[in-house]
Amino acid sequence: MMENFDVIIVGAGIVGLSTAWRAARAGARVLVLDKGPTAYEASSRATGYLSLRGETPEESPLAQAAERLWDGLDEELGYPTEWTQKGRLWAAITPQAFDALQITFQSFQRTGIPFEFIDAKTCRELIPALTPHTLGGIHTPRAGHANPQRTSQAFAWAFQDLGGEIREYTPVLDLLTRGGRISGVRTPWGEIHAGSVVLCAAAHNAALLAPLGIDFPVAPVRLEAFVTAPLPPLFDQAFIAHGLAIRQTRRGNIHVNGGPHEWTAAGVATEMPKPTTPLVRNIARRLFEVFPTLRHAQMLRSWAGIIDVTPDQITIVHAFDAPKGLIAASSAGHGFGMSPSLGLALADLALQGRTDMPVASLSLARFADLPQDWRRIWNWQPGSYNT
Amino acid sequence: MIPPRRITVVGASRLGCKFASRAARAGHAVTLIDEHPQSLARMSYDAPYFYGTALPAALTNENAIAQVVLESNPALAECFEAGVDLRLGAVAWGAFQNGPNARHIGIPKVGLIEGTGNSLVEHDVLALATGMRDFVPAFAGSNLPGVFGVKAGVAFLDLYQCYEGERTLVLGTSARAVDFVRRAVARGIGIVGMVEPGPGFTAGPEAAAEIAALGIPVHRTSTLVSAEGRTAVERASLRPVTGGGDLVLDCDTICIAIGVLPNIELPAAMGCRLRFDAGAGSWLPETDLTGRTSLPDVFWLSDFAAGEAALAPALAAIAEAGPTGRLIPPPETATGQGAYLRFWIQTMRDAGGDAVTLCKCEDISRADFLGLAPPPYLNGGLRHPHSPVTGTGGTAPRIQQDLLKRMTRVGMGHCQGKRCRDEAALLLSLRFGIGMEEIRPGSYRFPVRPVDLAAIAAEDDTHDTREKWSYWLHEPEAMQSRPDGVP
Repeated sequence: MMENFDVIIVGAGIVGLSTAWRAARAGARVLVLDKGPTAYEASSRATGYLSLRGETPEESPLAQAAERLWDGLDEELGYPTEWTQKGRLWAAITPQAFDALQITFQSFQRTGIPFEFIDAKTCRELIPALTPHTLGGIHTPRAGHANPQRTSQAFAWAFQDLGGEIREYTPVLDLLTRGGRISGVRTPWGEIHAGSVVLCAAAHNAALLAPLGIDFPVAPVRLEAFVTAPLPPLFDQAFIAHGLAIRQTRRGNIHVNGGPHEWTAAGVATEMPKPTTPLVRNIARRLFEVFPTLRHAQMLRSWAGIIDVTPDQITIVHAFDAPKGLIAASSAGHGFGMSPSLGLALADLALQGRTDMPVASLSLARFADLPQDWRRIWNWQPGSYNT
Repeated sequence: MIPPRRITVVGASRLGCKFASRAARAGHAVTLIDEHPQSLARMSYDAPYFYGTALPAALTNENAIAQVVLESNPALAECFEAGVDLRLGAVAWGAFQNGPNARHIGIPKVGLIEGTGNSLVEHDVLALATGMRDFVPAFAGSNLPGVFGVKAGVAFLDLYQCYEGERTLVLGTSARAVDFVRRAVARGIGIVGMVEPGPGFTAGPEAAAEIAALGIPVHRTSTLVSAEGRTAVERASLRPVTGGGDLVLDCDTICIAIGVLPNIELPAAMGCRLRFDAGAGSWLPETDLTGRTSLPDVFWLSDFAAGEAALAPALAAIAEAGPTGRLIPPPETATGQGAYLRFWIQTMRDAGGDAVTLCKCEDISRADFLGLAPPPYLNGGLRHPHSPVTGTGGTAPRIQQDLLKRMTRVGMGHCQGKRCRDEAALLLSLRFGIGMEEIRPGSYRFPVRPVDLAAIAAEDDTHDTREKWSYWLHEPEAMQSRPDGVP
């Protein structure tokens, strides 16, 4: 039996699911395929921040578009995301970090986003539990955070409510083309056809595109995180200090990640091992250096996640001319926050071939001069540590 | 002659002690880690999970506990004599070795927390003898003081000698339940009855006759509906599994002796391949007859695998370093426990209904779990109902227990799922008619029990964890040094 869809989305992560929901809402017949379960990779392991990308003007407009969409998302999807719009704070607790933060602030001022450099007293008024060593910070009342697992599943369920189908444990092995157009995908159980295929499979995108002679520059990297047992409310901003992203979940757990990373490899069809390491011990100490009150909080569980990083750490959104109908995205580690606008852009591109979302500067064109062996040159190869 | 190797054994269980002392006598450098005797602080975290919610007053004397724990385990004394490095009262919270996507661990190591601080203990070979724990299903009133598991009950009676019950109701008729009854009767404790959902007596006719001779009533084809009491257990309600009126029994303690499950947290979180063992009713690490797991130089020693028969072959196999080939598995566990646990849960659910709290940590009912309802702090339901069955079968799982964990928070609480995860899987299997082996178990994570940040925090920084600490791949120009004055 020949299966036919309007759009096939490869990858049931948060970007693929957001794209699927948008496309289904526009009336398309959409199929989502994944090599494993829904939202089982970075999408459910993320920090859960919407960053406004102040430091990267190329993708900041897409992040700000996401921010507008986030505000109505719970109501639109019909499932809670735990979206908490209470601003973002970067704090410095060492003199060196304070100097570095002032340089960061200068780059932030080139955006239209309201950032303010605040003194230590103001930082500790915003978050009283902060260490007395706090020296100052950058604050914006915008941006926020949400629950990555709940948000990914909210997209999945909202998509299914529109009749959309997600097939788990169905890896895409090859892309099919006919007459300069994409025509579908091949899975272990046969071919599935569609007029448009959107690749949202993180680093697996590269392996799928390579046989078409397309170089998709992403490198997977493993990062680590942990949560504490639930605590009474301490703060509700998206917070960054001391090399850590720290947020308190709606349930009360302190969620923290940061630190050295390890470059990894990605195949097409296999689930990537995501081991944790003794690094959580170092994260733990840094956490209570920032929040002395957490010294005797309980570490409850740790995990690792693998994100796909692009050479300039900026999102890729690319609609190919050849084969036509093929679109690929990499969110460069910012996919959680960007997912609402990124999904809208990708759905537009899949259905209409164009979009009003600000993605023009995010295409692969910017890598025209990238040397083929960029991962080797930068030492971003599998097994490289903290490079 | 085997060249001596550094062997870390986790768990001073019977198998752990025997293996450690034999390995030491064979010339290896052996470290044996066990969390008992536990510090009071840690025990009080542990207590609700295995000992029920009331800690007998006798357990508040830490020195006395330490002494009885050591004196009651001659196998430990044997280890001591054999020259084993004993690390007691220590938590092995994680174990790490190089593998795919983590190639910078260096020498394999165990994360250890002791009263004196924390460290990473290096080894060539890791033997996990982490024992087993009580299967403690939920029922109305199951969080009242006086409800405990059978292993805890035996520890109260014989190890700590501080049993506080006088009229105990025993759930189950297994050999373990009968053993508990014998020990309790020997200490003059009244057993008000035993409860058995089936028509027979699991431990066999001889044991049934022994119980009858003691004058202990066995309530066959009955299940537990609830425990009641104001501040502790005062009564229990039983109901015939075929329907009919409840029988109310006066009792002050309820010993759950339905079954025991292996503690697989460490091997599972390390990434050892698991298989579902229908006989045991549990996922187990895949092992061969020597106890070797799918990970190089990691052995799992358990009565749920080859048990004592694995000890000698395991000692011989230690000489063969390197990756594991195809495992010739030990036979499936033939106890029939899997079917027994299932029958208990089925009858308790039929009798108690789905309003019963399944996850005590997060206070989630069976109904909210099965219906994927958002947890109470979100104050709301789902726009449309959704099923946890997301797979169509074949080689792929049909249910991801992680989806239920994430959406309902069952298994996400302070006990890390140790009380609820197995019952939760059984409920899914019963409710959706899906085999246990088709339910992918929720992921296991380090630390394998909750630990204080201050206790686990590293003092041994490297260049990568201090000067080159990065945030989201960026090396922040200078976040390196510690804030002034931080010790």
